[in-house]
Amino acid sequence: MFPLTTNTAVGQSTDIGAIAQSPLLWIFALGVFAVIFVQSFIYVRAAKAAGPSVGMERRELNQAFRSGAIASIGPSLAVVIVAIALLALFGTPAVLVRIGLIGSAATETASAGIASTTMGAVLGGEGYNQQVFAVAFAAMSISGGAWMLATLILTPLLKRGGHKLSQVNPAAMALIPGAALLGAFSMLTLSELPKSTVHMITVVVSALVMAGLLFVARKLNAHWLKEWALGISILVALAVAFVAHTA
Amino acid sequence: MSTLQTTVSADQGMARFERTTSRWGRITMTAGLLLSLAGPAYLVFVLDLGVSVDQVLGAYAAVAATFLVFALVEPITYFPILGQAAMYQAFMIGNISNKLLPAAVVAQSSIGVKPGSRKGDLAAVMAICGAATVHLVSLLVFVGLLGTWLLSLIPAPVTEVARLYILPAILGAVLVQSIATVKQARTTVIAVTASLVLLFGVLPLVPALGSFGIALAVLATVILAWMLRAKGGTGAADLPADGVA
Repeated sequence: MFPLTTNTAVGQSTDIGAIAQSPLLWIFALGVFAVIFVQSFIYVRAAKAAGPSVGMERRELNQAFRSGAIASIGPSLAVVIVAIALLALFGTPAVLVRIGLIGSAATETASAGIASTTMGAVLGGEGYNQQVFAVAFAAMSISGGAWMLATLILTPLLKRGGHKLSQVNPAAMALIPGAALLGAFSMLTLSELPKSTVHMITVVVSALVMAGLLFVARKLNAHWLKEWALGISILVALAVAFVAHTA
Repeated sequence: MSTLQTTVSADQGMARFERTTSRWGRITMTAGLLLSLAGPAYLVFVLDLGVSVDQVLGAYAAVAATFLVFALVEPITYFPILGQAAMYQAFMIGNISNKLLPAAVVAQSSIGVKPGSRKGDLAAVMAICGAATVHLVSLLVFVGLLGTWLLSLIPAPVTEVARLYILPAILGAVLVQSIATVKQARTTVIAVTASLVLLFGVLPLVPALGSFGIALAVLATVILAWMLRAKGGTGAADLPADGVA
């Protein structure tokens, strides 16, 4: 497949694209996409079948689907921009699976950086050859696999615990999800504040724009605005961040 | 069995939903796991790059030292928010805190249901399916097909700013939207206070707890919200609209 002459030259090439764009990697990456499409299809059908039994009309379910789709436009485009920036480092198939799906840009770039270091190379820099890419990609994938394995093992166990709790104490099950959501997002958001002044400005602008849009949406009873509010907030906050960062 | 009856009880309907989603959730996630490992396995075992298994294991050990704890803690942290069905979606699609949870929160607020209620769970699953569809299509088109071309088009400072500040740009808005959806003023105060204490008090003192920051915030908020909950009749407002039998 490759003109390999001497053994020492094997995998030492810095032409990452030659292996990173190989057709088989594309096929496996598209396979992950197909699996998620199939999963979504099955889940939508299951939700629509269960809807009437809990008094939820098809219209409400469709609206939830649409709201989720619209709300994710902003974040998805942001992920796309970050993913594009990393194409040169990992090639398209690896970026699609590791950055676009399964992992996140921050985790995966950090993992790849750590893995490269164990090979005595710098990610995207000195010594970053085909061997280092292969090892980094493998390490990222095993690491990402650990999340899925943990989910497969822990979910049934957690589910059993949740069932017990909802029988013993329904009021607790009514309170816990909301409290968990607020706890997680409070911590995630506040952790951004000390990183830099621009981070702080970005968080505050994003929060204020959202608060303003939700207020207007309620006053005008503008339903669509609730769905688009996230995308608008992200755009405005990033625009302000751009000005603050380059100023 | 003949299921000609059109009205099934809420319990039956949800039980069937959970059976279907847990079975297919596990099957699809296992398939996703295997496919995601197939690519690197091909590079390491099939292509003759001169990479040894020891090198891969050494690199993974270094990565695991930083991230394995997250792999174990995050599923536990997000389970109460996502519910069983959505777990198998979220940890395969990824980008949970910056995309999937926000999508679920937006959907729940737009049709007026609470997280954790049955309607809330169904709304979250539908929202994540919607988000997944948009995400997959935009990735395929903008990264898969046009990525290399767009890379030459977008000015470097723009990708740089997007990379640096995308998280704060999403999170500020999502925190506000979560507060508006959950509608529990008391819990909100508890969550923010607990996070501040952890972030500026506990974690700087005990750096080893760093990887547990979000999990600790969730745990502290849940426990304190329970201990300090409004007692008496008003508590009913916090119950899911469809009740828990």
